[in-house]
Order: sequence, then C-alpha cells, then structure tokens
Amino acid sequence: MTFFSYTTVENIEATNKQVLSLLKTDTDSIAVRMLMRAFSFKKSLMQEHFNESYIESDKYPEATFQGRIIDFDPNFEGTRTFRVSGEFTLRDIRKLLEFSVNCTNQDGQYSIAGDLEVFVNDYKIKIPTLLAPNIAQVIKVSFNFQY
Amino acid sequence: MKINRIALISVGCVLMSFQSFSQNILDKLSSQSIDTTFYTAATFKMTRLSIGHSLETRKKGVLEFYAHTRYWNTFSDRSTSFAADKMTASFGLDYAFTDIFTAGVSFTSLSEQWAGFLKYRVLRQKPKSSILGVTLLQNITYESSRFTPTQLDNSIIDRATFTTQVLLGRKISENFSFQMVPSLIIRGSTAFDNDPAIQGALGFGGRYKVGNHVSLVSEYYYVVNKIESRTTYGAFALGANWEVGDVLLQFQLTNARIPTTDSFITETPFNFNFKNGYLVFGFNATYVFHL
Repeated sequence: MTFFSYTTVENIEATNKQVLSLLKTDTDSIAVRMLMRAFSFKKSLMQEHFNESYIESDKYPEATFQGRIIDFDPNFEGTRTFRVSGEFTLRDIRKLLEFSVNCTNQDGQYSIAGDLEVFVNDYKIKIPTLLAPNIAQVIKVSFNFQY
Repeated sequence: MKINRIALISVGCVLMSFQSFSQNILDKLSSQSIDTTFYTAATFKMTRLSIGHSLETRKKGVLEFYAHTRYWNTFSDRSTSFAADKMTASFGLDYAFTDIFTAGVSFTSLSEQWAGFLKYRVLRQKPKSSILGVTLLQNITYESSRFTPTQLDNSIIDRATFTTQVLLGRKISENFSFQMVPSLIIRGSTAFDNDPAIQGALGFGGRYKVGNHVSLVSEYYYVVNKIESRTTYGAFALGANWEVGDVLLQFQLTNARIPTTDSFITETPFNFNFKNGYLVFGFNATYVFHL
C-alpha cells in the first residue's frame, strides 16, 4: 500500500508492506488492517513527523477497512472492475468510502488493486499553517493485495 | 473518489445490513499478528535536548547543519539598547553514518573552541524487549584561541578536553521522555593547579510534548567535583522545542553561556535567575538534509 501527497512544493510518498487483507468470496466481504508505523518514507525525519505529529501512531497504531464488493461474482475469469463500499477507520474516526477496484482471478488466486482519495481533514489531521503548502489536503492511496 | 452524499446514505443502509458478518471478517483479521517489533521512535525527536545532547541520533544519511546561539547582558548598568550585550554562536555539522552512529564537528565563537564528537546508540528502546535507550557520546574540544588567560601550553593534548557521556533515557509515555546523563570530563591541562583535571557530572533532562509540533524541555547538570579557582554552578535550561518540517528550532532560558558540552557542564559562572547578567537566552536552529 502506498500513499502520495502531491503539491507544487513537495511530493511525499510512503509505502507500507505490512498490510493484512482478507477476502471472503462467499459473503463478498473484504477487510484490511494496516500498521501505521510500517509506512516507510524516503526522508527519515518525515517518517518520524508522520508518526509523532500527524497520525499519532502511539495512540492510534492501526487503520482498518471493512466493506463489501458490490455485485461480486467469485466465478469470474481474468480482470474485472468492481465497486467496493465500506468503512475506513483511521485515528478512531470512521468514514464511509466507495471506490473502484480491479479484481483479478487467476485459477482461484484473487488479487485486488486500485486507488482512492483520502481527505486529510476528515480524520482531524492538523497541518500547521507554515507547512500547508507542503502537504496535500487530498492524499492518494493506492493498494495491491494478493490473496 | 468523489463523495456523493446520496450514495453515502445508501451505502450506510447496505453497511448496516451486513454489519454482523463484516464485523466478523475484521475480527478474524485482528487475530492475525502484524510484526510490531519497531524501536520506540522519537524519544526526544531532536539530537540536542536543549543545551545538551539527547540520546537521539538521526537516521542513516541525514546531515544536520546547526547554529546554537546564546545571548546575555552584562552586569553593567550601561547595557545595549538592542538585543543583548554579548552573544556566542556554535556552528556545526552532524552526519549520521548509520541509524545508530553519528559524528559531528563544530566551532564556537567567543570561546574559540573546535569540537568533534562521536555518538553511538548501544541500545534502543523497544516495546517488550528493551525498557531503556542507551547512547554513548565521546566529545573532544580543542581550545584554539591564541592567547588564553590560563597560559595553556601549545601541545594539542594540553588544549584538549575529553567528555564522555552515557545517555540513558526512556520514552515513558507518548508525551513524556526522561534521560539521565552520567558524564566524565577529562582535561589535558587545567587553568590552575588546584583545579581537578577529571570531573564528574550527572545530567537530568526531560521532554513533555504540549502539542504535535511543540514540546517543553528542561535540563540540569549536577557537577560532582567543581573547579576550585572560581565559583561555578550547575547548568540549567528551560526551553521549548518546535519542529517545522526540516527545520528544528529550540528556544531556551538558561544560565549556560557557552554551547560546548564540557564548557557548560563545568564552567557555568552564575546561577540561574532572571536578572541582567545571569539570564541567558538561547536559540538553536537546525536544518536537516536527507542526503
């Protein structure tokens, strides 16, 4: 899972490889659980700021998503686009999200990839006025899960 | 993804209907363990607590450029109307060779000292395995002034002071961190014969986070055997640390005039109070480069 913050001043990118996801094809449900501390940044001090001053990883160590794949057909072949809707919890704040994913089925091996946008304000992440030009208000999150 | 209120309401209805089993799927995931063996991060955030070193080092490849400045007024009735009567500044570079090893050099005006240090993290605090962080610091200060009142000999060793510190600290809660710093200062030569060449000191320091980007810090250094040729006091600092992205700012009220480690520990000439001549205002600015 990777997130991007694009601004004219600075582009920030962080990747997290410690993300767990569970797909239940019988109930079309999907769950994701990620450790916030496991996001790795190019700039090490930025990673400290992210955990200490923005996400507050000591207080809120994980983010979760639980949702359902709409009109999911477990027997499809190849790659298909589905809508996913569900509840994303970050810093103990729950928001409903709906987004498209590309789902691939290769002989019963599923993988789901896609991206969505997260609004910083929704999760009460405060950005100091001085740094407002450096950090985007809308963070692009892209993911790729193999099941 | 665009937020569409009508869509959200309908999603809400759908959510409620399958809440029971989607809860189960997340529960199932919660029973899976994620590797959480991370070192406790940012015990003090900055590599200097206020006037002295903290147990913190930067991660590999980070270069810090800093200016540590101190400003104070003299005891004289005639004082400058602008800012302060006297100031000193220490300019330096610290480079983190690895996540646990940093080396730095600096020059301090007024006291005309060159200094260099090596800092090595022996132990890092880690949940469930290590309750304490331990960092070793070896500092060497070289008196470069051509004329010293103490008639120092000109050999390098005579002009050098070696400071060894063991920084023991713990992030006690997400907001509060504390450290203890047993220190040993060894001088190549002393100003007067009755001054000890080897001095011991114990530093205490704490940080309390008052906001996401601001913390209050305080430090005190107790000197076990003081120099005898003049009266000295333990160095004290009360300050605020402020982080603005790649810029780290530290403000302090202190009685320590010279930023160099061994100088402020053993040679702070006055007690801490708010009167002219006693109070020193300090300002550290650090810029962080990720190389």
